[in-house]
Amino acid sequence: MTYDASLSFIYMNTTRVVFGPGCARDVKEEVRALGCARALVVTDSVLAKSTDIPSRIEKVLGDACAGIYSDVVPDSGVHLVDAGAAFARERGADCIVSVGGGSAIDTAKGIAIVLKEGGSLRDYEGFQVLKRPATPHVAIPTTAGTGSEVTYVAVIKDHEAHQKLLFGDYNIIPNTALLDPELTVGLPRGLTAATGMDAMSHAVESIHSQQNEPIADGLALHAIRLIREFLPRAVDDGKDLVARGQMLIASNMAGTAFSNAQVGLVHAIAHTIGARHGVHHGLANSILLPHVVRFNAGEIAGAYRPVAEALGFQVAGVSDEACAEAAARLLSELAARTGLPQTLSSQGVPESALPELAEATLADASIIYNGRAVLDADEVLGVLKAAF
Amino acid sequence: MAMKFPSDEWVAAFHNAINESPEYKEGGKPWTFGVTALVVNAQPDLGINEAYGMWLDLHEGVCRESHHCTAEEAQTAPFCIFGDYARWKQVIHKELEPVKGMMQGKLKLKGNLQIIVRNVKAAQALVTCATRVPTQFLDEP
Repeated sequence: MTYDASLSFIYMNTTRVVFGPGCARDVKEEVRALGCARALVVTDSVLAKSTDIPSRIEKVLGDACAGIYSDVVPDSGVHLVDAGAAFARERGADCIVSVGGGSAIDTAKGIAIVLKEGGSLRDYEGFQVLKRPATPHVAIPTTAGTGSEVTYVAVIKDHEAHQKLLFGDYNIIPNTALLDPELTVGLPRGLTAATGMDAMSHAVESIHSQQNEPIADGLALHAIRLIREFLPRAVDDGKDLVARGQMLIASNMAGTAFSNAQVGLVHAIAHTIGARHGVHHGLANSILLPHVVRFNAGEIAGAYRPVAEALGFQVAGVSDEACAEAAARLLSELAARTGLPQTLSSQGVPESALPELAEATLADASIIYNGRAVLDADEVLGVLKAAF
Repeated sequence: MAMKFPSDEWVAAFHNAINESPEYKEGGKPWTFGVTALVVNAQPDLGINEAYGMWLDLHEGVCRESHHCTAEEAQTAPFCIFGDYARWKQVIHKELEPVKGMMQGKLKLKGNLQIIVRNVKAAQALVTCATRVPTQFLDEP
């Protein structure tokens, strides 16, 4: 991995990370440590209905709990954020505790903005527009994949305009992340695999980003090593607390890496496919990742030498191009090992939709940072056809 | 003659540079999303006592109208980009790519980033136009 004399970057990592089995039971102390008295628990409806995790968090918060807002759904909406902020205000909340996957944490980021600034979340669409920190936020992920507990971005859908809105601001990075492996043991096998490969895509994408830098690269490479070793174990035995814990750490490290270095073409396509065809984000990333590696290798094969090595490939004496191909192959094999589907066609994406998907992908902000510049829809179409 | 940046003269020269640019005529053709306002944040030590806004009514590869505006008026535009003087100077020198600057917090965007990304060629052409304006920077003799 080489860096030239023009290397220049900003690295942000402001989240206090607390790790350990049972650490979520310290949530009240963490809320108090932020100088807050009453926290609104934000969680998704499925988690609230199918598990007792949100009610356990409510219980340990005790008198510091302002209530539970459990209306979050996948592809959370601006209207849900605004309603959640109104509920938080009504209950006198001065802190948000999010419990769940990316949708719950992103919704909480939105609520934290509106609770502090007033109005509607739509008023704050953009990048780095906030002038002060949002409402304090403690994030408790129950999946190991999104890394949202440490990132500066929230993706919230405007269901009226049928548009995904992007909110990027250092002021919405959660203050605290509680990584409790006990909370991920109930995650089903398929979701464990898809979210784990989501974390893998964050790590690899941050390395092949135009904005890669040594600190993020270090985090991403170790995340790859951890995922390679522990994702199969977590999939095979969901109760393996060591594997669950290491996957939470890997997800967190990959999240920090991409929050700084950004992501690329894999995410640009996955966002587009998710919005139009409802393909799970992690699964879409998993399917696309090897094909984007092969596409990028045409110009930046050297970026994949350390990736291949972190995936267990012996790189000594091997060309960059062969390393890139090995990385693509090993990523496919890992996904297959976890039982994930390998093609877009298997997810109901019709072949006739590919040209329109390719065109729409060019509008996704993630594409800006892809290591190989992409300005032509035909290039995206080539990747889509390979992944079809 | 070099024009001070930011100033009303510079905005007028930028307007002309845009409309004389074959790159913007081509790259900006898909832009039908309304006014883009650029705001240089106040910096009294350089004589910028109040935030200086530049209102650019861009449409299909043409700048239809431009004027100096306040930060308040700028925020009524569909797209409003804020930045410190030093950041805009980096943009004009092509040392800072605007979209990346937004994502890093060096510039602040109020508006839909996806639309800007889809029109990145227009954004790049605008920067090229800015480099063609003979510019006297306030912090240089």
